[in-house]
Amino acid sequence: MSRSREFAARVRRALADERVTAAMRGTTWRKVTARAESLGALRDPERLRDLAAQIKQHTLERLPEYLTQFARQVQQAGGHVHPARDAAAARRLVCDLARQYGLKLAVKVKSMTTEEIGLNAALEAAGVEVFETDLGEFIIQLDHDRPSHIVSPIIHKDRRQVAAAMARELGCAYTEDPIALTRIARAYLRDVFRRCDLGISGTNFAVAETGTLCICTNEGNGRMSTTRPRVHVAIVGIEKIIPRLADLPVFLKLLSRSSTGQPLGSYTTLITGPKRPADRDGPQHLHVILLDNGRADILAGPFAEVLRCVRCGACLNACPVYRRIGGHAYDSVYPGPIGSLLTPLLDAAGDHYDLPFASSLCGACQTACPVRIDLPGLLLRMRAALHGGQPWSKRAAIRLWQWAMGSAATYQLGQRAMRAFLADDGAGWTTRGAGPLSRWLEARDLQRPPARSFRQIWEEYLSRE
Amino acid sequence: MDVALFVTCLTDTFFPRVGEAVVRVLRHFGCRVHFPPAQTCCGQPAYNGGFHTEAAKLARRMIKVFEPFDAVVSPSASCATMIRQHYPTLLENDPDWRERAARLAARTHEFTTFLADRCQVDLAAHLRFAEPVTFHYPCHARETYGVERLQGWLTGSAGVDLRVPEHPDCCCGFGGVFAVDYPEISAAMLDDKLRLLAATGARLVVCNEGGCTLNIAGGARRRGLPLRCRHLAECLAESLGLMEPQP
Amino acid sequence: MNDAGNPSTAFDTAAAKAELSAFIAALGPRTAAVAPTPLPELGEDIRDVAADGALIERFTAAAAAAGMAVHRATPASCAEVLGRIVQQLPARHVFLTAQADTALTPALAEALGDTLRRLGVRLNSTPDDETLFTVDAAITGVAAAVAETGTLVCVSAPDSARGASLIPPVHVAVVAAGQLVADLCDLRTLWRTGADLPANVNLISGPSKTADIEGVLVTGMHGPGQVHVILLDG
Repeated sequence: MSRSREFAARVRRALADERVTAAMRGTTWRKVTARAESLGALRDPERLRDLAAQIKQHTLERLPEYLTQFARQVQQAGGHVHPARDAAAARRLVCDLARQYGLKLAVKVKSMTTEEIGLNAALEAAGVEVFETDLGEFIIQLDHDRPSHIVSPIIHKDRRQVAAAMARELGCAYTEDPIALTRIARAYLRDVFRRCDLGISGTNFAVAETGTLCICTNEGNGRMSTTRPRVHVAIVGIEKIIPRLADLPVFLKLLSRSSTGQPLGSYTTLITGPKRPADRDGPQHLHVILLDNGRADILAGPFAEVLRCVRCGACLNACPVYRRIGGHAYDSVYPGPIGSLLTPLLDAAGDHYDLPFASSLCGACQTACPVRIDLPGLLLRMRAALHGGQPWSKRAAIRLWQWAMGSAATYQLGQRAMRAFLADDGAGWTTRGAGPLSRWLEARDLQRPPARSFRQIWEEYLSRE
Repeated sequence: MDVALFVTCLTDTFFPRVGEAVVRVLRHFGCRVHFPPAQTCCGQPAYNGGFHTEAAKLARRMIKVFEPFDAVVSPSASCATMIRQHYPTLLENDPDWRERAARLAARTHEFTTFLADRCQVDLAAHLRFAEPVTFHYPCHARETYGVERLQGWLTGSAGVDLRVPEHPDCCCGFGGVFAVDYPEISAAMLDDKLRLLAATGARLVVCNEGGCTLNIAGGARRRGLPLRCRHLAECLAESLGLMEPQP
Repeated sequence: MNDAGNPSTAFDTAAAKAELSAFIAALGPRTAAVAPTPLPELGEDIRDVAADGALIERFTAAAAAAGMAVHRATPASCAEVLGRIVQQLPARHVFLTAQADTALTPALAEALGDTLRRLGVRLNSTPDDETLFTVDAAITGVAAAVAETGTLVCVSAPDSARGASLIPPVHVAVVAAGQLVADLCDLRTLWRTGADLPANVNLISGPSKTADIEGVLVTGMHGPGQVHVILLDG
């Protein structure tokens, strides 16, 4: 892996798009403020974060035990559990289930995990019509686009683009009014909900103690998609497990507050098995697919902490890099700080070298993370791991730096060389230069080192005063 | 109290006045200041770039230079953090150096918190500002002091016209080598930062980090913005009459 | 259970069980954790609302902040309050049925039904698609409500269809003050064991909403755009 021209091009494209830049800046700053206010209303948010981190860490350390308990509980409640070692296995399982049950029309709750495994295309190829039901994902689907934020998928689109996509694909009257557009989507998808036979979801949390899936939405598509169809298939990353039902409030108190600033989303749905015989509605069959797809390898390595992630998106909202380059620049299902780690970890063969390096390590992500993932620390570790992909010029520069810093004499030699090398514009600043200096000078001037360094001042008089 | 000054390569080279201010202020509050001349660089650029072997070599060198002293003080929170937090990590698998790194880490301090916590100095009581002032909170201070604490030092000073910027802890885009490795992203972040600072109407920016100052001051000059950066050490030295104010 | 399209393949075969066990076993730690993280005991330190707090006031404020309309009533005035809500919507066709273990007892349901019929409202008590997709509003009870977040707890049961609080455009929930629990951490007490958990529990904390289009908040995406809570006290 090494630096990518494609990444640089995507970044340039994103930075040049002023409309998206303004939208991203406004939205992410609003969410940062909303998160702070919302968490501030809790009695002890820092304690909750400590507990959430501990619960997740404990679970990851004892994952086989909790997965076994979870599977047993799901089965006792009348559901079925299937392992999927990778994306292809998961896709095959879902398509097989569709075939076995004779399912033709699928509705999907927003799930990053299903995007990760590329499920939609596989189902369509198998003759199943698939509809995204989260409004943002539905519009993404209509517009043949990709989401750019894990919670707000169309943060990069404006109402004009949404109006055009819906008029074009649904044949409805053109309107740019968000309320009218929402009503159109609601009516369209209600018809799909009436006819669907397969519901596909991920899960926010999977409770081992009771075999319960916890799905959080604001729109209600999580409920519709897991109530209307006769078969519900849930794709569950193995890291979604939490041990006890009593652990849920710790995460529920943090999730929506971290994500959107609400105390709780409109719908938190706890699903334990398919419908009971006497229930009036609900799916007759529940199939849970436990997904590995690289998580087992992460679990066994030095980056296991990233598996605590609850996909709240708080790190995206806080990140000054994400704010400017947007989600598409990451070219991954998972953008932002967590994506900068997950993407190279889940897709080791892919070209993701730049992601851990395109960061100032400012730590805003760590401050925002409800499960206290040490994102800057892990980014540093990832950089060391990607050592082999560093350009030779960079390696040479670091070796030179190290030689210069190896003694006070070479250090001062380096200082004198720099003073000589940096051109003076006449006012004590450098405005022209080559190599790395020219890259610095793209955006800012460089003040020249004063005639005497501190060291020299110390020698001359300061040490004796 | 005997104190060794770890001036940092950036401050030594670009901001000697900050080093001088640190010395004068420490002496004013009763410290005897030593300057081990063998010091060079803490190794942060190599470390952040993923060159941990090279960074470890510089770390061992710096430990040798500073371990004779009971207290080490630096005007840079990021360099102090390099020693306090990252030296132990870098050398945790080196049985000969693990202890020595831990010992130096425990004795190394960032300048303003050293004054406030170890010397019991009420910083706000001594600071005077002759004009409206705003501030940049350097990200790498997050292990040392929070934005509320920095703001508190400024708010508390008599007669201050403090203009708190929106999102004071937003990264300026320096990030060390990040600024030259990903110059367009860095430039975009710098734009955002300068806009927030300029919106306060203040021209004086309290900025306690050399890298951030190079970035912000350089960016302000390029855009013709009337922003000047000063380290709190300089502000203190000027307020205490230990140094002449610089225009 | 015999339904069309039920696969003849049995899912929980011995081979499937073995495959799942092997999959899970392979996730075991490859090296022992240096200092294993204990599972923390969760005590009162995660509680935000005291059990003896002013729960009615807290619930009312939280529910209102979440975008729900809270109407105070007594069992005697409940019908009148409901009548006003229904007239203001206006709702001409409503789903209503008694639900065991809720405040919507057969007696109360009958009283509410009488009032609505007098107002000329058509009533339906069968939660089939025909009904739920055409009524203007659905009136349900709840299993509990949470004061901390203004949350309604609706569970699936033989007389409680999930779709009732989901499909119609308006949801009216009848809650008895005695059904209030203080905090989300009290939810665990609603079910003595995991086996007591119904197939579906919905924590409802507001109308259905989205802000996906330019951050503009719109209610009534897939679920009800309006939620009214009649809080019975006395």
